[in-house]
Amino acid sequence: MNSLGYLLAALTPYHVALALGGVVAGTVVGSLPGLTATMAVAVLIPVTFSMEPASALILMGAIYTGAIYGGAYAAILLNTPGTPSAIATTFDGFPMAKRGDGDLAITLACIASVCGGLVGAVFLLSLAPPLANVALAFGPVEYFWLAILGLTLISALSQGNLLKGLIGACFGLLLSCIGVAEISADVRLTFGSQTLLGGIEVVSALIGLYCVPVLIDLVATPDRHLKVEEASRGFRLREALNISWRSKFNLARSSVIGTLVGILPGAGGSIAGLVAYSEARRSSKQQERFGGGAPEGVQATESANNATVGGGFIPTLVLGIPGTPPDAVILGALLIQGVRTGPNLFTEHGSIVYVFIWGLLLATVLMLPTGLLIGRYAYRSIVTVPKAMLVPTVAFMTLIGTYSIRNSVSDVVIMTILGVLGWVLGRFGFSASPIVLGLILGSIAEQGFVQGWIIGAAADNLWGQFFGRPISLGIFAFILLSLFSPLLLNRLRVKREFARAD
Amino acid sequence: MRADPASRDIGGMVVAAVFVLVGVLALWDTLDYADADSYVFPRTVAGSLIVFCIASIVWNLARPPDRVQRGPESTMRRVGLVIVLLVAALSMPYLGFLLSGLAAFMAIMLLAMYDPWTRARVFVYPLVGTAIVLGFYFLFNKVLLVPLPAGRLFTG
Repeated sequence: MNSLGYLLAALTPYHVALALGGVVAGTVVGSLPGLTATMAVAVLIPVTFSMEPASALILMGAIYTGAIYGGAYAAILLNTPGTPSAIATTFDGFPMAKRGDGDLAITLACIASVCGGLVGAVFLLSLAPPLANVALAFGPVEYFWLAILGLTLISALSQGNLLKGLIGACFGLLLSCIGVAEISADVRLTFGSQTLLGGIEVVSALIGLYCVPVLIDLVATPDRHLKVEEASRGFRLREALNISWRSKFNLARSSVIGTLVGILPGAGGSIAGLVAYSEARRSSKQQERFGGGAPEGVQATESANNATVGGGFIPTLVLGIPGTPPDAVILGALLIQGVRTGPNLFTEHGSIVYVFIWGLLLATVLMLPTGLLIGRYAYRSIVTVPKAMLVPTVAFMTLIGTYSIRNSVSDVVIMTILGVLGWVLGRFGFSASPIVLGLILGSIAEQGFVQGWIIGAAADNLWGQFFGRPISLGIFAFILLSLFSPLLLNRLRVKREFARAD
Repeated sequence: MRADPASRDIGGMVVAAVFVLVGVLALWDTLDYADADSYVFPRTVAGSLIVFCIASIVWNLARPPDRVQRGPESTMRRVGLVIVLLVAALSMPYLGFLLSGLAAFMAIMLLAMYDPWTRARVFVYPLVGTAIVLGFYFLFNKVLLVPLPAGRLFTG
């Protein structure tokens, strides 16, 4: 099938309906303060299990992209980011709403999200296939090092405490070892429990680690009685298009930043938004306007966070290493469907991956009308959903979703226990993302490590096996960089501050 | 939000100490594995976990203390939510998914309710909740053909 064939396959009424439904569902969940894009994908994912992989991917991609955009509503109108990726949207979005330009800010955010999403998807379409060809040269040891690179990057980026991130990553890797070993069939780390024999099911663990802590926190605090005071003056689309055209370089730069940040494992929309915002502010001639309602601030954040969707899919599809937390959930869902992501996906399952990429582009385009309409007409009723209805609904979705993966009550119990564990660890600064990535990358890392170790031991050259190939050495250099760059940057910053004080 | 006095990250250190124990347990478990393929990876990971935990504890003791922010929150409701989720999961085989799910929904609704129960809310919330549970049950059981448990209590 050629490109036109893939495009036509993505444009079937069924796929258009999935993309539209996914964007709407994602936007609604993302707009609810407290619910993240990862959670939106995690709770809605069980619906995709009975679908073809390409259709499932289109729905999941649409939910993801819609949820990232949905976070902007609450950020602009309530000064509360609907999702963490919209944190920087509050800086200028809320001041705009306070001066009566909330409707304009929402339209600007929608246009910027669509631009960012399109740039990310185009990068995915153009970069992923050649990168997949490069990745074909990778052997098991390179995959082991790649998995470790993913884990060190997410440890460094997730919450600022590298050691806690590394501890979480190791814990996730140990969790991935639970059950019967793939190669030798040894029973590992079950401590006599029959329940653990089947191992920890990845998606139910993800639902637990990402959704249950949010529910635990939501139930513990009173409703904030959110009220949108401002009366809307319409879409103000022409005005927004003019402003967007004037800041086209800002949009392009922020979209590229978002795509590149999305490619880094574990660095999601929140980091992309903050980096793009600070870059937009740094390069602006009117820096003093930022923080007081500058449209460029909203545009930078929203284009960057939506660009992470396409960017994050690049390592997810090419290497099987998730770029962002929602990608981790999507990767888990694909594993359930028997689709193994990696470079071979592009050659052996081209119909899945290219139809999905075109479907993602379609969903991003559909976000413009749906986003504008939801922002104009439905947002007030969404944001005022009482917590007493929201929390039990999401909790029930986690129960039914987890059960439906393997029709197993044990998975529901494990999901709840992991959720509580994730919440407790989160209270002490241990982020869930390194644990999740460790759990997902555990099998790739173990296969690569064990194969390298066996071959190295047989050849009496363990060192050469792990450090003897240029690709391995290159990846190892990146690992060292990701581990030590925060320390070096911190030292440089302190030195600079001392110099300034002198 | 109130700022607690400057203190060391005691909780973080306790968690790191617990993870040291997890690492030791994992190492002890690997002693029983017959094949080197099975133990080489978990042993390496468990060893790394112990090293990182000890480094984290030492780092915490060496650096200046932080100020910790805490907000007004209800622990009882949190515990209640976890208990409801666990009871719902464990009662599924006996009560069936529909009944245990419905009971869990209503219990969590009570836990998440901070507003006064007006007459309208007493009628509307349970009705909407029941509709949501029935809707999802229908979607998963009838449309997606997931065999949700019917419950031994009713099927015998």
